[in-house]
Amino acid sequence: MLVLPVSLLLFVQWPLRELVQAYSREANDVAQWLFALYVGIAVTYATRRHSHLAADALARRYPVPVRARLARIASLLVLLPWSLFILYAAWPALSQSVLQLESFPETFNPGYFLIKLGVWLLALLVLLQVVLDVLLGPGRERD
Amino acid sequence: MPSAGLWMLATVALLMIATGLPTWIVLIGVSLLFSIVGIAGGLVDFALLTALPARLLGLLENDLLQALPLYVLIGALLNRLPLAELLFRVGSSAARRTGAGPSLAGLALGVLLAPMNGSVGASVAMLTRTLVPRLDASGIPTERGAALVCVASTLGVVVPPSLVLILLGDAMLRAHTEAVNATGRAARIINTQDVFRGALLPAAILLLLFVLVTWGESKTPAGREAQMSIPPVESGPSRLDWMTAMATLVIIVGLLASVTLGYLYAVEAAATGGTALFVAGLATRTLSYPKLKEVLRDTMAVTGALFSLLIGATTFTLTLRAFGTDRWAAAFLTGLGGGVYGALLVVLLLLALCAFVLDAFELIFVVIPVLIPPLLVRVSDTTWVAVLVLLILQASFLMPPFGYSVMMVRNRLDRPIETGKLVRALAPYLLAQLLVLCLVLAVPRLVWHEGSTQSSQGSPSKPLSDKELQELLWQQLGPGEPERAPEGK
Repeated sequence: MLVLPVSLLLFVQWPLRELVQAYSREANDVAQWLFALYVGIAVTYATRRHSHLAADALARRYPVPVRARLARIASLLVLLPWSLFILYAAWPALSQSVLQLESFPETFNPGYFLIKLGVWLLALLVLLQVVLDVLLGPGRERD
Repeated sequence: MPSAGLWMLATVALLMIATGLPTWIVLIGVSLLFSIVGIAGGLVDFALLTALPARLLGLLENDLLQALPLYVLIGALLNRLPLAELLFRVGSSAARRTGAGPSLAGLALGVLLAPMNGSVGASVAMLTRTLVPRLDASGIPTERGAALVCVASTLGVVVPPSLVLILLGDAMLRAHTEAVNATGRAARIINTQDVFRGALLPAAILLLLFVLVTWGESKTPAGREAQMSIPPVESGPSRLDWMTAMATLVIIVGLLASVTLGYLYAVEAAATGGTALFVAGLATRTLSYPKLKEVLRDTMAVTGALFSLLIGATTFTLTLRAFGTDRWAAAFLTGLGGGVYGALLVVLLLLALCAFVLDAFELIFVVIPVLIPPLLVRVSDTTWVAVLVLLILQASFLMPPFGYSVMMVRNRLDRPIETGKLVRALAPYLLAQLLVLCLVLAVPRLVWHEGSTQSSQGSPSKPLSDKELQELLWQQLGPGEPERAPEGK
């Protein structure tokens, strides 16, 4: 649902800027919060929907169990260390930003820390999905 | 070992084809593997890799990228509302007398929808779902329908103001800034509008040729046979259908034109289009709650897939730079002989090879930042280079049997197509593509230039001399520098 308020906020910033001549930057900043959170969730949602792009002209001929095993190995060897690395490397800047309730550097509007939180949320959800995939097998929800 | 980046690219291509794993996972996996080897061998500094979260943050606060889910939302709304079908029916009816109504309507739908999907992969998914059943019902042979979907899916690469063009404009801006800083040349830096406008005339010529090819195919014996097999239609579109289709067309074309001409920001236009379609769907009661859920799910899934690619590409590029491959490539290109055309043709060939396995987004984020800045040191006409890049990308996506669009369409279809038949169906489109590419290569004036851009940058026939280039390389990197390990070792 988040994409609808993002769309509305980015749409209204145009009349706000041209007609009201106020609040357009506030609308843009709020849209940025929502956008960051939306993307943070969307990456894992695409994994669950099996929507990621892949050049599988050859691999589509492999038996289903082989592809499932490949996906599980890739989750374990690639996404698990990558997400842990992002969580580790992003933590110092994120914790500082949240503790200070960091504002947007250009407009000084509050909530910039939410954008940084978006990166962490993204990595955390990837990690949780990996755990689910490894424990239960790659997602069951299909496109 | 600066050439490690080339091995990384080769490994990505190999693993993508051999495993069929999602591209973003392969990009991250190869980056991890090479990073570990690089750190263990003392070639890569671990501290450099900790910049990755900051780079990912850059994606989440990029104004241009906010347009991405909004364009996808418009595409999903057009697809799930009866509008895409309505546009196709009205288009077929309008072009009925040409004898190629359904094919031309399909091409037109590609022109309208493909620029909004951002990715060739997403366009293929959407147009296969929207067009193939309708082309089948129109009696068009499978291979011709598939070829049409391949072509229509790649139109988003060249028709402004597609997301590919927006992001390429941004990548060209960065590349041009790097080249101008390196040469110290006084030049107005290219912007996204320059790329939009530069692509207009070549895209128009290409579209015209595609229309002629599509129309011409309907005049062949096979095309006539297909027309004979079309089941009789009980009634054409109603007056209300025509009015709705025209209103939709005016809104979409108006928004696309206003962005191309610089009256609206891409993000605002996408937001306006998305909001207008959403409100129209509610007002006309065509957007029921179940349909809205489907639209939102489609939008989030496609957005997630596209951002995953950007995340994979960002990780990959950082590793590539940590090995110093970008500077190595710069030194290689700067040292190439053959003047402007020598370096340009080498870069276009490399891009074409990469485009066999990578999507436009991956190319823009992974390959272009490495290859284009050194090319722009040699070739001063940035808009011309940008348009050539677009044309070569589109041609590569269409090249059977490994072209990205071709592979994706074959994957998506529920029935196999003989490669020979598909090649024959695509051949006229590829010839048209080649013709426009050669035309733009030979006549750079076909590309629109901002007056000051052209005068300040000079023409492509006034490059730096080889001696000047060697001096520049010496100043920038120092003797033997291309072999030196990156900073931080």
